[in-house]
Amino acid sequence: MIPRLKRGASSLITRLVGLSLLLLLVVQIAGFGVVRQSIEANARRQVARELDIAEHVWERMLAQKVEQLRDSATLLAADYGFRSAINSGDVETVQSVLENHGSRIGATVTAFLDPQFKVTASSLADEKMGLDQRLIADLPAYLSRNPTGAPLIVIEGVPHQFVMVPMRAPLVIGWVLMGFPVSQDLGKEMGLLLQVDVVLVTQSEGQRRLVFSTTTPEVSQRALAQATGAELSGGSELVLARHVPMKSRNGEVETILLRSAEEVLAPYRRLQWLLALISGGGLLLVALGSSLVARRITTPLRDLLLATQRLAVGEYQAPIAHLERRDEIGNLARAFDHMRVDIDHQQSEIRHLAYWDRLTGLPNRERFREALEQAIRDNTPLARPLAVVSLDLDRFKHVNDVLGYAFGDRLLQAVAGRLQNLVTQPGDLVARRGGNEFAVLLQGCDAKAALEFTQRIARAFEVPLAFDDQTIDLSAGMGVACWPADADNADLLLSRSEIAMYTAKRKLSGALLYDAAFDSASGQMLSLLTEMRRAVEHNELRLFLQPKVSLPGGQVLAAEALVRWQHPQRGLVPPMDFIPFAEQTGFVRQLTLWMFEAATRLIAGLPEPLAGLRISINLSTRDLLDPELSTRLGTLLQRHEVRPERFCLEITESAIMDDPQRAETMLNRLSEQGFKLSIDDFGTGYSSLAYLKRLPVDELKIDKSFVMGMEKDEDDAKIVRSTIDLAHNLGLSVVAEGVESAAIMERLGQLQCDEAQGYHISRPLPAEAFLTWCAQQTAAAATAA
Amino acid sequence: MKSVWISLGAFVAASVGTGCLAASVQFDVRDEAGKPLTDAVLFLESPEAAKAVKPLQGAEMAQQGKEFVPRVLVVTKGTELAFPNRDKVRHHVYSFSPAKKFELKLYAGTPANPVLFDQPGVVLLGCNIHDSMVGWVLVVNTPYHGLSQAGRLTLDNVPAGNYRLRSWHPGLPVGAAALDQALVVPASGSVTASVRMAGLTP
Repeated sequence: MIPRLKRGASSLITRLVGLSLLLLLVVQIAGFGVVRQSIEANARRQVARELDIAEHVWERMLAQKVEQLRDSATLLAADYGFRSAINSGDVETVQSVLENHGSRIGATVTAFLDPQFKVTASSLADEKMGLDQRLIADLPAYLSRNPTGAPLIVIEGVPHQFVMVPMRAPLVIGWVLMGFPVSQDLGKEMGLLLQVDVVLVTQSEGQRRLVFSTTTPEVSQRALAQATGAELSGGSELVLARHVPMKSRNGEVETILLRSAEEVLAPYRRLQWLLALISGGGLLLVALGSSLVARRITTPLRDLLLATQRLAVGEYQAPIAHLERRDEIGNLARAFDHMRVDIDHQQSEIRHLAYWDRLTGLPNRERFREALEQAIRDNTPLARPLAVVSLDLDRFKHVNDVLGYAFGDRLLQAVAGRLQNLVTQPGDLVARRGGNEFAVLLQGCDAKAALEFTQRIARAFEVPLAFDDQTIDLSAGMGVACWPADADNADLLLSRSEIAMYTAKRKLSGALLYDAAFDSASGQMLSLLTEMRRAVEHNELRLFLQPKVSLPGGQVLAAEALVRWQHPQRGLVPPMDFIPFAEQTGFVRQLTLWMFEAATRLIAGLPEPLAGLRISINLSTRDLLDPELSTRLGTLLQRHEVRPERFCLEITESAIMDDPQRAETMLNRLSEQGFKLSIDDFGTGYSSLAYLKRLPVDELKIDKSFVMGMEKDEDDAKIVRSTIDLAHNLGLSVVAEGVESAAIMERLGQLQCDEAQGYHISRPLPAEAFLTWCAQQTAAAATAA
Repeated sequence: MKSVWISLGAFVAASVGTGCLAASVQFDVRDEAGKPLTDAVLFLESPEAAKAVKPLQGAEMAQQGKEFVPRVLVVTKGTELAFPNRDKVRHHVYSFSPAKKFELKLYAGTPANPVLFDQPGVVLLGCNIHDSMVGWVLVVNTPYHGLSQAGRLTLDNVPAGNYRLRSWHPGLPVGAAALDQALVVPASGSVTASVRMAGLTP
């Protein structure tokens, strides 16, 4: 069973590629995770560092802001107009100039102090300043000592930075104190410098208040709500926070610096994407690479599988691929290829055996048939005729039997050689079709040419074969059938050439061209066989008996059993119309058995006067060569309790001579069983006396041709007489058949023939009539006596 | 200029001395540490002295080398003071002192109108263009006044009587009044007044 190719191959690829991808993926994911973790840790560290810097920068910015404000205030204090106004002495003027010039540089609180730091004028009304008065009271002294580092003061919820500068005219004539709110601009500046958001928060009495924020209200609110923690909770982005407490003289002030890690992470994220992309690319490459590798394995495997499939359907010619590879696949391919070559070799040997005859070296029947089919296919478009000559050697069996099989084989080889010498046209072919049959294919050959070819065969056979000191005459029956005239396909053409050949053999006419009439004859024969079978089953056969009488005396001692066929349509069919055919087909064995059955039954039921009657039954060659014959007959007789001595088995010389050895064996066995044996038609065959002498024969039956001729032909009479003498000398009794006149009967009596049979005595009679006839004879004899 | 004041003083003393008794007063001015002071302004006040005071004539506070010359000038009440500019650059002289607020906007040479100092007190002068320029004009309501040199000053022909000895020095805080101590001037001879000035900034 060849496995399903695609599935098998793809699953191997999937497994190979899948495993490597899986492993790679695990490594990638692990790497990715580690990188991600360290990136985040890194980002946190980096942001924390940035927040460190931001914290310092923020403090520095606030300090710088103070310096800057002080510079501005210094300039302001040096302004002549401002100085004149301050020194005008008019309270309202002083107050308005403080507000006016203070707002010029963004101060929300401006006060003028005398050189002893006593407030002489302030931009804020007393009630507003009320709360802060105490705070401000010691501020100048502090500021005069630490001009840069004053703590913040929360005024109306807003942290303020304070600076104090002297007013000179040109000596210090007083001090200008200015308070500036810590503004959002400062936060924005931070944002510009360091991408840090600033949220400024004040806390008093547990209440956190937002002063300003550079970030979104939402984030601001979260930052406001969260008093501690390095990370701003909530929200999807990672935002780190730094709480920077600020020195303040009233309430708590805190700056929250916020740095989104996203900005820091963003390049890493891009890097991660890039990494993911590279990973993906890597995976893809690995997938491609490993599937290429897998394909380099599975493709040859698939090729090998295909190759085995080709081998399975018998294609051995194409060498298997990948032989050149030096790896395991190559080894496998080479092993397969060796196998292919070996199988091919064996296959061709088998094919040779299947298509060639070993003995003669000729193509065999099958090969011939295929060649014929091919020739028909090839010649069809050309409308070129072709012919088949079937040839059957005469008497081959005889040669085999007499001279041995080795001789027979040499004969066949010689015939094959001669036939091949005759076949010279390309495309023509001689084949041995089995046994002693040959066939010749003649291409481009019509009926006339084919018949001429058979003449050439006949001429080639005229020269006898000589082996050692034996000389054999060759002859053969030949049949010719032509395509397309006689048949349109190879099988029919072959069978018709055979029919023609059989017909030729039957008619002893050498070579015959197929004729449709032969076919009908053979068709009739076929139907005859069927009908004969039916005849046995439907009891259409009749047993006839022809009496044999003793000489002299005319006493009925025996009778020859004959079969007649009472055909329902054709009436009584003459024996000549079906006996030879039955012999040819082997059906005669059933006929013989039927005869025995019928004769046995007759003998078992014979009346007392005929108790010693012996019945002769003819055995054909087929019967004789049936090794079961004696057993069958024995069983039959035993069943009817009839003794074998009551039967005489008549065998013709030719029946014996077909296979003398087997015949002798069977005859010996039958004789031992108790059957009487008789040689029928004696004098017509070729049997040698020496041979006959060995046989356990009891009787000779002189052929009727001699008996009928003895009245007119003295030679026949001499043959009859010498046969009788011969038989008597060998201790055999003699029966003459064909006794058709009283004269012959009398003459036979004179020649001391033992028994006579013939029309003169009685025709063959149906069993009933025979019994009646016997009764009449007995009565007549009794009357005569 | 000093020679002018001395001759002036001598004139006054002589004129007073002709009518009544007079003595010379010698001052010894030192700071806290006992160091003799220069440019300390010493003047003696009394109702009689206030009556005897007269505006100075031809008094001037020049600007030279981006400095006020002299650095400290004592004038009597009612004196009209000229501010000649002897520099090539212009000056913008001003005062925010309560005793006399004025300004002389950018000018070169001598402004046409002299500035009248009619109120006693310390007038701190500055230049709006040159912040480093500092000058003082001490307006006194007495003819008996003078500047110390290395802690020493002698006033002659001071009529005998009870006086308030006022002492002032540029090192005193801005706006601070002159120190005040009593001094009795005898009818003749001389008297020595010792003045210790505390709270000076160097």
